[in-house]
Amino acid sequence: MTAKHVPCVEMYGVSKSFGEVRALDAVDFEAAKGEIHALLGENGAGKTTLMNILSGLYRLDEGQIVVDRREVDIHSPQDAIAVGVGMVHQHVELIGNFTALENILLGREGSRWRLDVDAQRASVEELAANYGLSIPLDEQVKTLPAGIQQKVEILKALYHGADILILDEPTTMLTPHEVDGLFSILKSFATGGLTVVFITHKIQEVLDNCDRITVFRGGRKIDTIPREEATRDRLVQMMMGERGMPPVGERPTGPSAAREGDPALSVRGVRTSAKSGVPLTDVAFDVPRGLIVGMAGISGNGQKELAEALAGLIEIEEGEVHLGGEEVSALSVAGRIARGMSLLPQDRIEEGILPGLSLAENFVLGLHPHIFKRRGVFEREAAHELGRNAIAEFNILARNEHVPAAHLSGGNIQKTIVARAVMLAHRTGGKAMIANNPTRGLDVMAASFVHGRLRELRAGGAGVLLISEDLDELCQMSDRIVVIYAGEILGAFDGPEYDIYQIGALMAGQKEGEVS
Amino acid sequence: MRFSHVCSTGRGCTSLSLFFDISLFQLTMLMMAPLIIACLGETIIERSGILNVGIEGVVTLGSVTGFLLTYYSGSAIIGCIVAALSGSVLTLLLAYFSITLRANQIVIGLGIFVLGLGISPTIYRLAVGVVQSIPQVPTLKELQIPLLGSIPFIGEIFFAQNGLVYLSYFLVAAVSYFLFKTPLGLRLRACGENPRAADTVGIDVARMRYGACVVGGLFLGVAGAYLPLVISGSFTDNIVNGRGWLALMLVIFGRWVPVWSFVGALLFAYVDAFQFKVNALPQYAKLIPPQFLLMLPYVFAMIVLVQVARGAESPRALTRPYDREARD
Repeated sequence: MTAKHVPCVEMYGVSKSFGEVRALDAVDFEAAKGEIHALLGENGAGKTTLMNILSGLYRLDEGQIVVDRREVDIHSPQDAIAVGVGMVHQHVELIGNFTALENILLGREGSRWRLDVDAQRASVEELAANYGLSIPLDEQVKTLPAGIQQKVEILKALYHGADILILDEPTTMLTPHEVDGLFSILKSFATGGLTVVFITHKIQEVLDNCDRITVFRGGRKIDTIPREEATRDRLVQMMMGERGMPPVGERPTGPSAAREGDPALSVRGVRTSAKSGVPLTDVAFDVPRGLIVGMAGISGNGQKELAEALAGLIEIEEGEVHLGGEEVSALSVAGRIARGMSLLPQDRIEEGILPGLSLAENFVLGLHPHIFKRRGVFEREAAHELGRNAIAEFNILARNEHVPAAHLSGGNIQKTIVARAVMLAHRTGGKAMIANNPTRGLDVMAASFVHGRLRELRAGGAGVLLISEDLDELCQMSDRIVVIYAGEILGAFDGPEYDIYQIGALMAGQKEGEVS
Repeated sequence: MRFSHVCSTGRGCTSLSLFFDISLFQLTMLMMAPLIIACLGETIIERSGILNVGIEGVVTLGSVTGFLLTYYSGSAIIGCIVAALSGSVLTLLLAYFSITLRANQIVIGLGIFVLGLGISPTIYRLAVGVVQSIPQVPTLKELQIPLLGSIPFIGEIFFAQNGLVYLSYFLVAAVSYFLFKTPLGLRLRACGENPRAADTVGIDVARMRYGACVVGGLFLGVAGAYLPLVISGSFTDNIVNGRGWLALMLVIFGRWVPVWSFVGALLFAYVDAFQFKVNALPQYAKLIPPQFLLMLPYVFAMIVLVQVARGAESPRALTRPYDREARD
């Protein structure tokens, strides 16, 4: 197979640093015409950085880029477009208030003085038909579901003349059915002569869909191998190196592990208003003590609102929330915390930490009534002691407890937040934990740490609600999975074994019993 | 002064004609023009993703340079051109700090506000010195447009005005067309909504934003020059008197759409003109308590606030500096 590869993109000795962090270290990369080439690696391995360089968003510090055997100098996205590179970003870069057609035409409107979107409509429609993409061109992009937005961005790249199409983690926002659809489209692109590079950290996707695989680790390229030579074990070994995979935690046992007594968390007919985001309608489910209940759903279907409604951050219009048998929906956030509820917020930088304050101060947050003996006084020594202990106990990589939280890496920030929630749970008798996407963007080690702590809480008899967009994570962690769609719970599945296509159909909004 | 004939007509002192008087409407158009010109300039700047809270200072600078150049050259056109350029220089400063240095736009904007407000009287005193009688320029004459101007009522109100009022009509149409009907307008709006999306399709975000600031600054300068050239004929320290801030509110009131801002400017100018008329004619003061009139601008401000609370959607990247290599 290697013999007939015609190199289309070649990158040699590419290095890139952000401040003191060396994100890429002398990386070589080559992709051929007509292939689907996977870039596999953990979060932070450098694969997105390399592709951001190819698409002109980042400037390389050192190195050389060759496209179609000609050396090119890519200073800006404009240069990248000129040599035929198009990138579909993980969080699609579209303008929500513009229509799909306006988004596609932006930057290449077809005329200089008069904007006439209808004159270009025919050529966009033809292109869409050729590539098998069906898109409602006149809808505002913000009203379209994530899967369609992604197609808009793919079509946009093609319209701008891309013959090298890069997709960054394209499957994170899709249901299993949509993932299959995406790859069948990408395969037809490759057959048609396009070069498709796709970035992922999921080994199964790579094995199922790619011609060649390049593996990254810690800012370096490990190797490029053809699909035929790849096995799961070999890829894991390449991705993880000497460290190996973290030990796989115990599998969930299913709902039978539930402990007796009142459920840790019982949600009954909860409604919220549209003013606070996606409105919840009649949300009802239980999180029994001693179980992890997973919540599956595509981002933006009410998960954030549910987590915040349970924690007391947004108002519940109707319905009840019971915490260990006690009705708490009229209580304040502090009241719920005191009774044993804790929340791992979704956006760890924006909602989880005080970036400018020290680690010790961050740990004290919420724990303060338990740490300080005198009410209303910040006891410096007690705070520092707490910080020192937490850093040691939870293995947080930080010089000491005085460094500002924002200086930590994403993984260590998340560890800090988890550590705080766990310490709080110990002191309040931790009945229920709501974890909203607690491992998003983390490397395997940090994710495994978070999973370990959640399992400990489960073993200690707490109920854990694990909200995640990653179906693999949910299947691996949950005793039961409920599916949320447009603010409604569409169904529940008992573990420990799951059929992801069934779950996926509900995630896409098909009610149980409907034929897919 | 241009206002004198409002009082002198004296015709129809019935309560209805108090509200619907040709001279009142003419005065409304006259007061509307500087508001909408400033508002259009600010709209262009904000649509690119930059909030210029220094608008009051920029307009003040425009009024002093406009006045002085007209006074010394004897040509209002030269006055307006220089005022426009001076406005541009000040917004270019805003652009440099907020685009190139990525400073906080509110802080820089307040700095520009104070700078404009402070430097303008200084320039005036340096140029004019201490004098017995304050310098005056003749205010702009009405230019009646042939045919249109002779339509009764409508023509008298809209087409028997000074040249800058006509310019303001033209600019409303031109800016609307530019924003919504040209490729460049689409790109400008893209920079204000999602600069990274614009960047990834090859649009130079920094250049677009600089361009918006420079062009918007021209508008703000002209709006400043309007005040001495049309309304007062001379320069005083507080000549702008909050009109810049008002234009900033009108942008929100109009939800960043020129035509709606135009409606807002008309409403406000009407209130302003009305207030002027009542103050000028003491017999009306009995009909309408002055407190009521003083209240009107604040009522208007409340309406704007309600609009904001109901979610008037600003350009989504407003006040957010763009850094291509920022990692999120």
